[in-house]
Amino acid sequence: MILSLVKADFLKIKRKGMWLLCLTGPFGVVALQMVNYGVRKDYLFEQMDDRWLYYILNINSFTPLAIVLGIVILTSFMASIEDETNAWKQLVALPVSKRAVYLSKFTVVSCVLFLSSVHLFLFMSGYGLTLGLGTDIPYLRLMEYSFFPFLAALPVLALQLWVATVSKNQAIPVTLGVIGVILAYSASLLPDWVIWKWPALSNDWDHSYINALLGIGFGLLLYLLGMIDFKRRDVK
Amino acid sequence: MEYIVETKHLTKSFGKEKAVSNLEMKIPKGEIYGFLGPNGAGKTTTIRMLLGLMRPTSGSVQLFGKDMKNSRIEILKNVGSLVENPSYYPHLTARENLEASRKILNVPKKRIDEVLKQVRLHGVANKKVKGFSLGMKQRLGIAAAMLHQPELLILDEPTNGLDPSGIIEMRQLIQSLPEEYGMTVLISSHLLSEIDQMATRVGVVSKGKMIFQDSIETMRKFAQASIQVRVNDNEAAWRSLLANGQKADIGEESVTLQAEDDEQVAGSIQYLVQQGFSIYRVQEEKRSLENIFLEMTREEQAG
Repeated sequence: MILSLVKADFLKIKRKGMWLLCLTGPFGVVALQMVNYGVRKDYLFEQMDDRWLYYILNINSFTPLAIVLGIVILTSFMASIEDETNAWKQLVALPVSKRAVYLSKFTVVSCVLFLSSVHLFLFMSGYGLTLGLGTDIPYLRLMEYSFFPFLAALPVLALQLWVATVSKNQAIPVTLGVIGVILAYSASLLPDWVIWKWPALSNDWDHSYINALLGIGFGLLLYLLGMIDFKRRDVK
Repeated sequence: MEYIVETKHLTKSFGKEKAVSNLEMKIPKGEIYGFLGPNGAGKTTTIRMLLGLMRPTSGSVQLFGKDMKNSRIEILKNVGSLVENPSYYPHLTARENLEASRKILNVPKKRIDEVLKQVRLHGVANKKVKGFSLGMKQRLGIAAAMLHQPELLILDEPTNGLDPSGIIEMRQLIQSLPEEYGMTVLISSHLLSEIDQMATRVGVVSKGKMIFQDSIETMRKFAQASIQVRVNDNEAAWRSLLANGQKADIGEESVTLQAEDDEQVAGSIQYLVQQGFSIYRVQEEKRSLENIFLEMTREEQAG
């Protein structure tokens, strides 16, 4: 049941430019560093002995913004596809459980974001290789900074999907999303418990995997809360 | 009798207001059930509860003898629906729209072509629904509802936005369903004439209450003609008729006879003549179903 729902949901996002978004997001993040390194490559090379690490950290200063922004757009978008002609009533009147409907939406957004992360990995590694940052290519670190921000952002995803699916007016999740982007931008000023800080992968323990694990755990919790609330509500 | 739909004490409140109260709906198998009521009477709310979109505040919904609360998915496998305005995905083609439902319903792909033909949309199957007229969107909605050949088809105001020829086609399609596929159809409308031409059973709802539920024939009996007689002294004529054991009512300018057949009318007139009344007019007044419906709903509102 869930597989056919996911397939149907992928069909519904056809021609909506979601796949383009999933390409432009990570490209934009790397493009910013192309400008940065294009203009002052020599200066940047002197900043840290480990040129690869410095490059990756530079990239990662914009990844959280792109992810949070992407989540806001994708979730609000998934909801608006059903909201547009109130197709929720038609969808829920099919022989499917409301939990599966919600899970399917979550899965589709996650898939698109995951694919974005894969793109980020490819773009980040690709441009890094052309820069001549050193022969010792830190593949593990590249993967870490490509996929951990996505995992750490799962709570934001769960929260945004929840608000987007239960709001009749998409202005509400978008407003929340804008606040989220601002919070993600000021990550360094925030305490560790704020979920919008997590995609930046910085914390007091200096282990990025903590953010990823916290993201998975807390994301699951928020997902469950959203699903229960969605199931409980009447379809108008 | 085997009921496809049976609700017991069905009630739904929004805050303090009761949109549906103590509604008992019974639909036998193979019937076309016309669900009538003025706008805002609670038709759509009832239908939403029948589809499990809304949870009743109290009471129960049973479809195919199964309880909606416990076996929603099992029930919905045999139900097709079109609720209020048609829902669709405007950026997808007609075929893709049906495909989105087909994937979930898990029926063979050829069903898409079959239903598109049934609602005569096969010519525009690969056009985006964005550019469809309201009537075409409505037909697409019905196609989606019939995709899995459900045993029960629930259509909420299905002829909204259709042109006259579209309405006739829709009517023919709906009327053929019980015979050809053994489907039971629930069709709601605020237009009695529409129900009158299709339905075999009628339920009339007003202010959330079921005020009439029976076969369409029974409803038509209400519509029987009455005979109005105008004489020189209406009140005296009325009294003498009553004294003679005839059923009659007095109106402002005439006496109304409640006669069951022609002989009875003839008898009453003869009697009046014998009593020496001058008879000016004898005329038949037909009460249309429309009038009955209006009276029913008005009484309910007044009370």
